[in-house]
Amino acid sequence: MRLKILKNRWILLIAVLLPGALPVAQEAIPELSYQLTRLEVPVAAPGFELADMDGKTHRLEDYRGNWVLINFWATWCPPCRKEMPSLEQLYQAYHDRSFRVLAVNQWEDVDHVFSYMGELNVFPSFPILFDPESKISEAYGVRGLPTSFIIDPQGRIAYRAVGGREFDHPEVIRLIEGLLAP
Amino acid sequence: MLLVAPVRAGDVVVEVNPASGLSTWRMEDEAFSIELIQLLPDFIRAVFASKGLPQEVIDAVSSYCVFGTIVRNRSAAPLSYNVADWRYLTADGVAHTGKTKAAWVSEWHDMGIAFRWTLLPEAQTFEVGDWGQGFTTVGLPPGTRFDLHFGWSQHGKAIHHIIKDMQCAPEDIEK
Repeated sequence: MRLKILKNRWILLIAVLLPGALPVAQEAIPELSYQLTRLEVPVAAPGFELADMDGKTHRLEDYRGNWVLINFWATWCPPCRKEMPSLEQLYQAYHDRSFRVLAVNQWEDVDHVFSYMGELNVFPSFPILFDPESKISEAYGVRGLPTSFIIDPQGRIAYRAVGGREFDHPEVIRLIEGLLAP
Repeated sequence: MLLVAPVRAGDVVVEVNPASGLSTWRMEDEAFSIELIQLLPDFIRAVFASKGLPQEVIDAVSSYCVFGTIVRNRSAAPLSYNVADWRYLTADGVAHTGKTKAAWVSEWHDMGIAFRWTLLPEAQTFEVGDWGQGFTTVGLPPGTRFDLHFGWSQHGKAIHHIIKDMQCAPEDIEK
């Protein structure tokens, strides 16, 4: 067993949640991965009707005919925060090609999330939806955050990713390009 | 049953935060990695209070020995873990089991609380690239030393690892 003094590896994250807690509590922001798992047999995606930050209702069935990336997340979840900018990049690159992103927040309210969004360099332009009692994430079988799904144009879950991802990774781009190819 | 599986001696790295004195244990195998970060009871209280949970819940969780835990599939094939199989072996020879997320969530459900986040899911199958993080808990007093026996399974084979001489966070940081 080796003993190594902590250097600069840890990022002081908890300041965002608990400004008074530093440096007592620290949490790493682990490396994101990039693979998404294709379901051998796509299954029907549970429908939902959720409000966004402006109170507008979004129903999954309204997105039928598009590929939809659904990302379950929360502001207190370090990898959720880390992957958010790459999600925005992906959305910016493909939203005009029948590709949509829906970020479904867990257990938080609009004011809290809005405040968090203000800390980002780029405000996400895809809808942020609210699942305050985690009923939709439960219907999707989400065990931990973040978890993402790609829904095919027929409304079926085609891909799944447990844990944070680099959504602007070349392999993810290649995957999305393949899905959107005519 | 993990305890009868062959034991691998992975390379464990211990890091100490010079500011707080809190430790992190990290083990990477070819297939699986785990990282366990000591967390102070005060930190746990603050995290659960920030979620608007009742004092009863905050007190209960913070009375446990809690680690921030990150697990990851590093291989090119699915693997599974089950926190219920982990054992915390203390110096008196007792093998303690942790309290799983399912057990906590069940208690909260009985209290009419739907909250089910921040804790590491007790059992998961990770596909390629999958990983997760969350709190793991065991009912040991602050500062308790133990060996963690844990593992995962892949291709139908159980792999068992030990991280020796881990320690629960103290009640508070010494000034």
